[in-house]
Amino acid sequence: MTGSYVLARFEREGALLDAARALRAQGHTGLDLHSPYPLHGADEALGLRRSTVPLVALGAGVTGAVSGYLLQYGTVAYLWPLNVGGRPPHSPPAFIPVTFELGILFASLAIFLGLLFAYFRFPRVHHPVFELEAFRSASIDALWLSAEVDIARAEAVAAELRRLGASHVAIVPGVAP
Amino acid sequence: MSTAPKTLEEVEALEGSPVLVGRPDDRALSESLLEPVLGPTRKGWLMLVGALMVGVSYWIVSLIATLFIGIGTWGNNIPVAWAFDITNFVWWIGIGHAGTLISAILLLFQQRWRTSINRFAEAMTLFAVAMAGLYPIIHLGRPWLFWWLIPYPATTQVWPNFKSALPWDVFAISTYGTVSVLFWYLGLIPDLATARDVAKKRVQRIVYGILSFGWRGSARHWQHYRIGYLLLAGLSTPLVVSVHTIVSFDFAISQLPGWHTTIFPPYFVAGAIFSGFAMVMTLMIPARRAFGYQQVVTPRHLENMAKVMLATGLMVSYGYVMEHFIAWYSGNPAEQFAFLNRWNGDYKWIWFMQLFCNVLTPQIFWFRWARRSEVVLFVASILINIGMWAERFVIIAVSLTRDFVPSSWANYYPTWVDWGLLLGSICMFGLLFSLFLRFLPAIPIFEVKELKRELEHHGPGVRHQGPAEVAR
Repeated sequence: MTGSYVLARFEREGALLDAARALRAQGHTGLDLHSPYPLHGADEALGLRRSTVPLVALGAGVTGAVSGYLLQYGTVAYLWPLNVGGRPPHSPPAFIPVTFELGILFASLAIFLGLLFAYFRFPRVHHPVFELEAFRSASIDALWLSAEVDIARAEAVAAELRRLGASHVAIVPGVAP
Repeated sequence: MSTAPKTLEEVEALEGSPVLVGRPDDRALSESLLEPVLGPTRKGWLMLVGALMVGVSYWIVSLIATLFIGIGTWGNNIPVAWAFDITNFVWWIGIGHAGTLISAILLLFQQRWRTSINRFAEAMTLFAVAMAGLYPIIHLGRPWLFWWLIPYPATTQVWPNFKSALPWDVFAISTYGTVSVLFWYLGLIPDLATARDVAKKRVQRIVYGILSFGWRGSARHWQHYRIGYLLLAGLSTPLVVSVHTIVSFDFAISQLPGWHTTIFPPYFVAGAIFSGFAMVMTLMIPARRAFGYQQVVTPRHLENMAKVMLATGLMVSYGYVMEHFIAWYSGNPAEQFAFLNRWNGDYKWIWFMQLFCNVLTPQIFWFRWARRSEVVLFVASILINIGMWAERFVIIAVSLTRDFVPSSWANYYPTWVDWGLLLGSICMFGLLFSLFLRFLPAIPIFEVKELKRELEHHGPGVRHQGPAEVAR
């Protein structure tokens, strides 16, 4: 299949979300909305499932905390039992700060790296939507809808988007890498 | 209760001045906020950078002296093994904490006024942490061996002593620095994309294009982005409290009179927020004039920050009172002497300066006119910065000069290297901040656009829907 993207600019948030719902009801997949700020209601209009980012953060945080504790237990209580001031080698209260910090560190790294490289699949500076010069406004002041469709059907989808109230429609060739 | 829609003017009369002046359209807003970044270099900025470079060279000379000759170039001695260096460390890290407070804690508390100043405050955090992290390392004596602090399987088979507060510090500060960078950069990505798209010059388009990783404002990304950003805020909130708590453990866990106090963790955290808000104020008042941010950083922001300074100033004052009470109540002569020594000792003038700057100065913010006067705010913020530095010096160095055994007492006098490391670091911080203001969007553009929509849709009188709704 030869891929292409149909890009449609909308002037109002309501019209944009309605268009996304209408296309989805017609069975279109590969839809996306582009806006300079997070759009309220976009998740529902696109039928997105609940984000799994919190689970990733939780898993990484627990991993970090457990490894932090094991690191301390392993080094100063097991590998080289260290007697400073008569404190027992295994001193749980003294191990709390590092355990806590490593939990936070792992969770934060997982959120950041996970978002960028797994959820967003960045870096992707050469996405087909950037082929359209007018699409620059998506990060400034305009609302856009993008539909990934076969080039043969692109004209039909473009016509449908015009019918749904798009103020500007364009077709750009290409598939997401 | 009437639910009749109120006009903007009515609501502003009730709620105080607006968090956003006027309702500029998105393109005008983007262009005006990016003008300092994408526009031509200004002469004033170049002159400022040049002046700061002079101070930075003093800092570099002091660092070279420390590295090549050793910490014998400092005024430190035994018993005063910790002096300017650790004072600077605690001071800088405390300044950093206000940035995290503004960007994370106020986000969770749904405080709308944080929107315009959070990026600015986060950048301050980064540079303050960078300055802070330097001092414990150069204080090691052989700083090139700093990696001995990291637990790694050494041939000596010896590991860091995790029962000491100092290795906790290593983990706390490095985690804090890392998380601050991540939080700041994640917030920057959509604005870097805006910079890429507003830019006219090819070089700018390429550089901001690379920095934004190809952000395309996708709703599928925004969904994860918002929840991830909120989670980072949620993680930063206990982190910031834990970091300064651990910093205070460096002192509280020891047995030195004046240090061995259980009130230190909350008292240090309050002091950190106090000094950090003062530093945000010191930087923001000139920057909003120079770069024309008055539309998004309004008197409302300055007034709210003044209120936070008043509140934390009172908490710090309570800490001072309670320290003295506990010293008396403990019945421990060494502890009692340590506090009498603050009022009567050789360094009493620093103690009085601390009381003037930290206890008396914020009291002016009980008055509305003072909270709204840029001159008063600027002068008070500088005094508070000085006062908080003095507080750390009094706690750290003055306590050390008079420990248990009178035969080991000695005073501390800073050398030119000590002064260079303090004053030079302020210039370096200023330089980093100037570069940030010139090359990165200092005001979160996408958040201001979002704020504008909330004000339009829900009316200014309605609290904005925050984390609860995002988490849906």
